[in-house]
Amino acid sequence: MKVLVTVKPVADPNTPPAAWIAAQQGKPTGEVNHVANYFDLIAVEQAIRLKDVGVDDICIVSITGDDKMAQVRSAIAMGANRAILIDPEGKALEWHQIAAALKHVVEQEQPAFVLMGKQATDDDASQVGSILAGMLGWPQATFVSEMEFNADRTRVKVGRETDEGVEVLDVKLPAVITCDLRLNEPRYATLPNLIKSKKAPLERFKFSELGIAADPQVTVEGFALPAGRSGECRMVKDADELVGVLKEMKLV
Amino acid sequence: MKILVVAEMQLGKLKPSNGAAVRFAQDLAAKTGGSFDIVLIGHGLADLAAGLNKYGAGALHVIDAPRFENYLPGSFCAAVVGLVQAEGYTAVIGGEATTSRDIFPRIAGALGAGMCKGVSAIVDAGGGVAYQRAVFSGMALRTERIHTPIHVLTVDPTAVGEPAEGPAGAVKAFAAPGGDDDSVKFVERRRAESGRPDLAVAERVVGAGRGIKSADYLETIGTLADKLGAAIGSTRAVVDAGWLPNEFQVGQTGKAIAPKLYLAIGISGAVQHSAGIRGAKTIVAINKDPEAPIFKIADVGIVADLFDVVPKLIEKI
Ligand SMILES: Cc1cc2nc3c(=O)[nH]c(=O)nc-3n(C[C@H](O)[C@H](O)[C@H](O)COP(=O)(O)OP(=O)(O)OC[C@H]3O[C@@H](n4cnc5c(N)ncnc54)[C@H](O)[C@@H]3O)c2cc1C
Repeated sequence: MKVLVTVKPVADPNTPPAAWIAAQQGKPTGEVNHVANYFDLIAVEQAIRLKDVGVDDICIVSITGDDKMAQVRSAIAMGANRAILIDPEGKALEWHQIAAALKHVVEQEQPAFVLMGKQATDDDASQVGSILAGMLGWPQATFVSEMEFNADRTRVKVGRETDEGVEVLDVKLPAVITCDLRLNEPRYATLPNLIKSKKAPLERFKFSELGIAADPQVTVEGFALPAGRSGECRMVKDADELVGVLKEMKLV
Repeated sequence: MKILVVAEMQLGKLKPSNGAAVRFAQDLAAKTGGSFDIVLIGHGLADLAAGLNKYGAGALHVIDAPRFENYLPGSFCAAVVGLVQAEGYTAVIGGEATTSRDIFPRIAGALGAGMCKGVSAIVDAGGGVAYQRAVFSGMALRTERIHTPIHVLTVDPTAVGEPAEGPAGAVKAFAAPGGDDDSVKFVERRRAESGRPDLAVAERVVGAGRGIKSADYLETIGTLADKLGAAIGSTRAVVDAGWLPNEFQVGQTGKAIAPKLYLAIGISGAVQHSAGIRGAKTIVAINKDPEAPIFKIADVGIVADLFDVVPKLIEKI
């Protein structure tokens, strides 16, 4: 079985927000390190663990410039076979364009299913998986924390993490599956595998070659820092004082 | 704009996040000189529809068929898209929740429409409107503008108020396109019943972190919660450990909540957790580490051993 797994390089979640905003606005800042989106690493790990149910071709797809190859390599080095890279040519692509580019790859590769992270930890949108599934006319299963294939690998039973508990669905393949935290714990790429990953076959496209509308449906107009909370934390010394303060604030 | 609010159900009841979606639709209609309707999709909806029809919507569409008994993304998406196309809506709005997070991008894709997820405010933008939403774990706000004729939005319930009441609209049955489809089948839902208030909308929440050391201590946390009439929430660490099920997780990738009181017990205050409690009115933190980041966002704090403080709180409240 062939599986496509998407990987997005994102700013390290510990980046100070002002530095992140500056980088988003194209201002040079030395403060932003990039990592592979954690949810995508869960997706890569899942693909690797599915080798014992017949996954034998794990292809990473990333829409990113060459400057973030290290993050893509770290994902390949976990145990993927190869990668397809789409160069956005310096453009900030929005979710619909990303999904359209992925659709292009899916049509070329015809995988048994697509595994993705449930959201990217920079823009927190969790849109691309569902858009892609809709574009392909495929079933989708988002926020998945359990997967179990049937005997002939035509369907997969998934547990989805929802506001109302774990929802179990039985999904026909091919499908788009987005991964949640409890699915697995991603392994670290070892140094030998990182070195080996440099030899993994890479196929490259330019976004402008794919015939996708260049005009974004959604544009970013600006950034702001959220209003801070009240400020000082009022420290109390013991439980008695705490109860007193809570009563004073009419909270209990 | 001609707006459609997609109301959601939760375990056979109307979901509280519908209120924020209706309120946002009211505001957007006022701002753009438009109107809004509501759609409810499910099976056996007669009694529920009335609960939605009190906000001044022009129409309440009801899509009621056995195949909508359980939420499934493909068929629900086709139903909403069919209605949007039949009625010519130019905005589709829902409350941010796991269901809308699943289905709204699919709807947007099918309509060829741009979408913004979890919007908190409408912003004027050169004769049109743009939307503000939290990104990067809630540490930044971003303004996004949609350029397609149809706007698809989910609304952050912790940032938007209650809807205004208004006259009832005409109730209309809509026969949704599509038929039975076995590509996705609902199997079951696994859920722990707690009898406590709904975490998403509770006025008071007791948050339990890894500091509680074991699942056994949740009994004591529960006693405190019950004294306060509070819901229990938790960090990812507690859910990963299997002490509580996933629906208790608060944060960037769990629920965002806005209670009057959030009592953070043995919680370090990682950015991913803080993302979910920014809307809380008062945050009270109990942590033995004076350097814990939770004290940076808390309003009241105590540096102490939780195993000492929690029993005293139970006794004194
Ligand atoms: C992609 C991603 C998404 C994530 N999403 C979320 C999310 O949605 N929600 C979330 O919560 N986390 C999320 N996390 C995890 C987050 O980064 C933190 O690891 C997690 O919130 C920590 O949980 P905690 O505060 O319970 O545990 P810890 O960080 O271990 O903190 C425990 C705290 O308890 C205190 N403590 C210990 N013993 C006592 C005692 N006896 N008395 C008083 N205090 C005590 C300690 O001082 C410490 O501050 C995410 C992480 C990633 C990578």
